[in-house]
Amino acid sequence: MKNLTIRNLSKTYFDPYAGTNVTAVHDVSLNVEQGEFVCIVGPSGCGKTTILNMIAGFLPHTGGDILVGGRPVNGPGPDRGVVFQSFALFPWKTVLENVAFGPKMRGVGKAEREKIAHEYLALAKLTEAAGRYPAELSGGMQQRVGVVRALANEPDVLLMDEPFASVDAQTRMTLQEELTRIWQEKRPTVIFITHDVAEAVFLANRVVALSKGRVLEEIDVDLPRPRSWDALNDDPQFKELTGRVLQLVRSA
Amino acid sequence: MMQHRLSSALWFCAPFVVLLVLWTVLIPYFNVNPRLFPHLGSVIQAGLEGIKDGTLIQHIGASLMRVAVGTVLALLVAIPLGIAMGVSPVVSSFLTPLFRFFSVLAGIAWIPIATLWFGYGFGAITFVIFNAVFFIVTYNTLLGVSTIPLPVRNAAASLGAGKWAMLTEVLLPGALPNIVTGIRTGLGFAWRGLIAAEMIATNVGLGYMLFVARDFYKTEVIVLGMIVIGVLWLLLDRLLLAPLERATIERWGMVQRS
Ligand SMILES: Nc1ncnc2c1ncn2[C@@H]1O[C@H](COP(=O)(O)OP(=O)(O)OP(=O)(O)O)[C@@H](O)[C@H]1O
Ligand SMILES: [Mg+2]
Repeated sequence: MKNLTIRNLSKTYFDPYAGTNVTAVHDVSLNVEQGEFVCIVGPSGCGKTTILNMIAGFLPHTGGDILVGGRPVNGPGPDRGVVFQSFALFPWKTVLENVAFGPKMRGVGKAEREKIAHEYLALAKLTEAAGRYPAELSGGMQQRVGVVRALANEPDVLLMDEPFASVDAQTRMTLQEELTRIWQEKRPTVIFITHDVAEAVFLANRVVALSKGRVLEEIDVDLPRPRSWDALNDDPQFKELTGRVLQLVRSA
Repeated sequence: MMQHRLSSALWFCAPFVVLLVLWTVLIPYFNVNPRLFPHLGSVIQAGLEGIKDGTLIQHIGASLMRVAVGTVLALLVAIPLGIAMGVSPVVSSFLTPLFRFFSVLAGIAWIPIATLWFGYGFGAITFVIFNAVFFIVTYNTLLGVSTIPLPVRNAAASLGAGKWAMLTEVLLPGALPNIVTGIRTGLGFAWRGLIAAEMIATNVGLGYMLFVARDFYKTEVIVLGMIVIGVLWLLLDRLLLAPLERATIERWGMVQRS
């Protein structure tokens, strides 16, 4: 079993303008079991991206440990898939080639990796778009490609940094519902970052409230699945949970 | 689409047709001395003769050969160097002004020093072309690599790309639109530099053909040479370089489609 363990993680930046050190993440500890869907929620500047980039291995941490399946993280690797807010697709590759990229890096042959890619594209209802280039897709479609590109590599942990922040509200709701559906089908371990409290509660098994680089509280979300906005919009338990998380985040 | 292509090609040729008509009419009308400017007919005749006795083909071949060799050599060095420099923000910001400076010097300004170093002939001319292409392509490659968004490189790394895959799957294609633009600009300078260098530093090639004809008042050969130089460039640019640039840049959406 590949779980993710974060122990006393901290990050200190040097701010060249002020000439001082800025501690963006203080002593964060978190344990994510395989197959869990954890949302980290907090206001802008509280250190969410910093935490995620350290887990991804893009950014060195200055204190504590990050372990995936017991092994310390050292730089980026295919065991941790990343979905970016800016999509970060390869503009010179077709949708199919984008999704097949991870398997290609693993040395999977052309026919086999295209089969894998087609399978994942179908999962996100993108079969039609397989031969197109990213620039020819809408933002919502591009991010679907971003999600399945990461999934097709079958990472131990899927890291998502506000992936739906730059699409319109309707598309965002569709993408959220789709993500919960895909998660139920494939059960990847997910760490999802957002500043949108309702989004966090809608998606997660567990919400971690973050403020000024510290964990405030962890809240379990045991809303039934499959989840849909139609069902949850007026759900009293959903309202109660979002209210609680919102209060936490705002009071800090 | 096809129709559009055709009509735009016709529109492109239209002013040249007008020019040719004016030429056939005006030169005899004003009875211009052929030592100052030739009749269209004698230019055509000079062209046919040059093809028949092989001299024109020989000059064209020599010029194209030099461009090809100089350009290929330049690309072989410029692209790897540009990528190596581009991956490090410190190195690239340090060297950018230098390469900008040398890009401006492109081509012709290198001729005197080239003849001092290589004597007259193939070496000097190839060196001029090499420089015209090398600095501009290196600069553009460096620029191209540094404009690849960090998340795109991070994405590749987190999907398991090693050093080699990063180079071939991300850095090279990511910089390609800039590289192609660089090649197009560089070749433009190289072509001009070539003609100038051939006037000074050799005994075969289009530039040489032009320059020698002057000594014998053969204006029809001079004008023939000018036409060949222009037409060859237009063919190269329109049939090879521009479509290549369109294919990468527009399809990939890396700049705004117009
Ligand atoms: N490269 C850096 N150098 C110095 N300080 C930084 C750097 N990156 C982030 N910080 C600081 O660290 C803190 C946390 O930033 P981070 O980007 O992790 O926040 P965030 O929670 O992701 O915010 P947002 O919701 O706006 O994306 C901020 O105060 C920010 O100014
Ligand atoms: Mg952020």
